[in-house]
Amino acid sequence: MRLELGRIRIKDVQFGPATKVEDGVLYVDRAAIEAIVREDERIADVTVELAKPGEEVRIIPVKDVIEPRVKVEGAGGVFPGMVSKVETVGDGRTHVLSGAAVVTCGKVVGFQEGIIDMTGPGADYTPFSKLNNVVVVCEPIAGLPQHEHEVAIRMAGLKVAAYLGEAGRDIEPDEVDVYECLPLLEQVNAYPDLPKVVYVYMLQSQGLLHDTYVYGVDAKKILPTLIYPTEVMDGAIVSGNCVSACDKNTTYHHQNSPVIHDLLARHGRDINFIGVVITNENVTLADKERSSNFASKLVEMLGAEGAVVSEEGFGNPDADLIMNCVKLEKKGIKTVLVTDEYAGRDGASQSLADANPLANAVVTAGNANEVVNLPPMKKVIGHPEAANIIAGGWDGSLASDGSITAELQVITGATNELGFNKLSAREA
Amino acid sequence: MVKEIERAGLPVVHMCTVVPISLTVGANRIVPTVAIPHPLGNPAMGHDEEKQLRRRLVERALTAMTTEVEGQTVFEEK
Repeated sequence: MRLELGRIRIKDVQFGPATKVEDGVLYVDRAAIEAIVREDERIADVTVELAKPGEEVRIIPVKDVIEPRVKVEGAGGVFPGMVSKVETVGDGRTHVLSGAAVVTCGKVVGFQEGIIDMTGPGADYTPFSKLNNVVVVCEPIAGLPQHEHEVAIRMAGLKVAAYLGEAGRDIEPDEVDVYECLPLLEQVNAYPDLPKVVYVYMLQSQGLLHDTYVYGVDAKKILPTLIYPTEVMDGAIVSGNCVSACDKNTTYHHQNSPVIHDLLARHGRDINFIGVVITNENVTLADKERSSNFASKLVEMLGAEGAVVSEEGFGNPDADLIMNCVKLEKKGIKTVLVTDEYAGRDGASQSLADANPLANAVVTAGNANEVVNLPPMKKVIGHPEAANIIAGGWDGSLASDGSITAELQVITGATNELGFNKLSAREA
Repeated sequence: MVKEIERAGLPVVHMCTVVPISLTVGANRIVPTVAIPHPLGNPAMGHDEEKQLRRRLVERALTAMTTEVEGQTVFEEK
């Protein structure tokens, strides 16, 4: 598979009579977006707002963040199995509106949605404060069950992102990156002297609004399988989860996974990155055992000497992470784990729900329990009172002046376990 | 919780879904349960079948409670 990713740098977003990209400005036809969202009868009301870097704007509660992309050459379209036909993607050419994003917002679906501040201390914790965001605020019809509410908003976000992505179809990108991934035997033979590394990509799949979709399939229903890195870049994996905002992988994270990009950057230099295994995080012990058995067996079958394993979420998925680690290590495959920590507000408690001495190389993305204070903003898009109920907040998190005191958990992407954030730690 | 109650001299049965975590935290009597969102029930079952499941789990826990153990023991379904 060979994917050309053409990045069109978006430096501003504005409303306009027609959606288009001109001189790095994304013009957005507000009415067209509202019409797309209103196609779904489950959504009673929709408004579109813009949020740009540096503005005194807070977005709450945030469900998903999605990068607008469009497939311009090669099979299929973006988000296959969701908004495009379920064609295999990852080959050809895709244009990216780099620097822009769709953010979905509106009445809280569950209790684990997040906050994006566009300026101030909160902005430093989230990568999405640096983007020109098209915020789609969707309000559901009365009495809509939570799971349908989640589906409606998820689909609205993906459809709007696909619509905006179309504006980049005929634009000459500012830069084009080429990613080439070979069939396994060719890949192995390409760099016979370099250590062979596989990425084990854990997808949140606990159900009850903690889900991920692969080509439209609910990831809790898959057995671990192989995927090309370029398929992921074309939107084969999308977020359907409201799991804690700080360490969920939004669709934007999947599209831009730093683990995949960094492994590709070092491919052929000091490692031979031979493949990606996707696996899940299910809620019964038998499922956890089966999936970790399969994932570790696939890595062994590929002949890897090392594996990078990333987690999504926290708590019982820590058990999946440790199972994957232990089973790989016992096969003689070295592992590095990427996770975050729930170590208490003072950072003194045990960081993960499970542990094992074989987990001896771990990268942390920060402590989600740390308490942060977010000053009031001039404008709030969405529902500020959600701060009192989302995970990491408590009754009283929202003060009368509009400031919010809560755990870092509440900030979308703050401790992202693909490393798409600034926090980490190193041994003193 | 499990360890502190045991420290006070009372035997504890930890009923939980993710047995490896229970082993890591040091529970001595462990009864595996159904699933994380519904450890002691199963919404996929009918009412009568689920009641039997629940009774079996509680009976297994009581058996575990009254069984002498040498170190950490998982009481699997027979």
